[in-house]
Amino acid sequence: MLLRKVSSAAAVLLASTVAVLAGDCTPKVADSELIKPGVLVMSTNPTLPPLQYVDSAGELKGMRVELGTEIAKRLCLTPEYVRIEFSAMIPGLSAGRWDMINTGIFFTEERAGMMHMIPYEDQAISVSVASGNEAVKTKEDLAGLRIGVEIGGFEETKTRLLDEELKAAGKEGLVIQTFDNFALAYQALRAGQVDGVVSIDAVAKEYDARGDFRRAVSGLYPAPVAFAMKSPALADAVSEILKEMKADGSLAALFDSYGVPMPETDYSVKGPGR
Amino acid sequence: MSIWSWSGFFDYLFNPFILGGVFTTIWLTAVSLVAGLILGFVIALMRRSKLVPLRGIAWFYVWLFRGTPLLVQLIVIYTALPQLGIRFSVVEAALLGLALNEAAYLAEIIRAGIEAVPEGQSRAARALGMTEHQIMRHIVAPQAFKIIIPPLGNSVNGLLKTTSVTSVISMEELLRRTQVLIQEKFMVLELFAVATIYYLLLTTAWDFVQRRIERKFGQSTAVASPQKR
Repeated sequence: MLLRKVSSAAAVLLASTVAVLAGDCTPKVADSELIKPGVLVMSTNPTLPPLQYVDSAGELKGMRVELGTEIAKRLCLTPEYVRIEFSAMIPGLSAGRWDMINTGIFFTEERAGMMHMIPYEDQAISVSVASGNEAVKTKEDLAGLRIGVEIGGFEETKTRLLDEELKAAGKEGLVIQTFDNFALAYQALRAGQVDGVVSIDAVAKEYDARGDFRRAVSGLYPAPVAFAMKSPALADAVSEILKEMKADGSLAALFDSYGVPMPETDYSVKGPGR
Repeated sequence: MSIWSWSGFFDYLFNPFILGGVFTTIWLTAVSLVAGLILGFVIALMRRSKLVPLRGIAWFYVWLFRGTPLLVQLIVIYTALPQLGIRFSVVEAALLGLALNEAAYLAEIIRAGIEAVPEGQSRAARALGMTEHQIMRHIVAPQAFKIIIPPLGNSVNGLLKTTSVTSVISMEELLRRTQVLIQEKFMVLELFAVATIYYLLLTTAWDFVQRRIERKFGQSTAVASPQKR
């Protein structure tokens, strides 16, 4: 008897909470397009301050995290983040583990043939070296050095390209060491186990500003960074939100607060067959 | 994305880069096993020593390395020890981590084997005038060895698979090479099927070797033990 009363009271409470939370906000994406109804599940590898990282309290922070949360809010969905290594991102998206990759995945034609991508940010490759190292000034100076990089990403691909370019120019190549994430690669740099770490401009700049590692080379292989989705309907909805955020100035304000330049893009979806 | 590509699977199955990774996994296992066995034997003897400091050191060693994850040990050896001026290359750090860890487990297996031989036999041998060395060589070791073989085989099987952990410090063994190739065409299932096949092949081959060893040393007891009437 008592149990029934309690449970019916709980049901009323739950129903009213849901009503309050939802308000007059109707999700802009059908539940059938999502892994979890009413939730936007995003994957991120939080090892790239200031874009995506975890603070000392264990909270997810950074420009891309804020942007993803804002997109979810405007879609009337609850944002949820899965923290995972980059190497698991694309397999996980196709396996239906998350709705959207929000980890600053670089846009390439090959990738756009497999999933729906929206370029929204420009990044280029940088090389960080130990703060006392003044010897490395250009990419040619990297010949023969031990270079750490996160496995499976654009950075690794470009590091291998750099290695080939150096060899083609008759110089010594790179000794490439792949790590599970940037945190470990930078840890190896701090320990002097590698001579440099290949990362992206914004991250290398942040570490340079903190006085941790010197950004020796930057601006290599510039390329757009994108969100990636499996569902074309979700991609369209996110594209609309980004256009809306550009129009009302909130996107520029966010990028500006992190010192990231706004890219030349129309936030359109590039994917299989389009 | 396609469901399954047979051509991709066979390409990766005979890919020299992957085969190189298999080879690395094999020698990583072999070298760390031999080093672990030698060190483990020394630790086991130290734990049975009459000298308290020796026993203390051995106890501390086993306590430390059995009580912490290999993953942590590897990251500490590779990225934290340089802070103290102690620097090991990737290969050295991987071998050191595996061998030190393995030695702690093997020491316990060896100790259990030695202690399973009844004390009375040693006392009897001593009464016959045998030296401690002779007792170990002719009485304790042969019997202990037989007891040690099954858990030791298990340990080798475990070590073979544990080598994959060294990928975190960028050791290019089978798992890391599989991961490196995944980004090429994202044939995740095909590549991990290949890696799985090689791991199974290696563990199965070891299983075969272990059975041969067990049979060989099992026979000697059958001869030595009294006949059933």
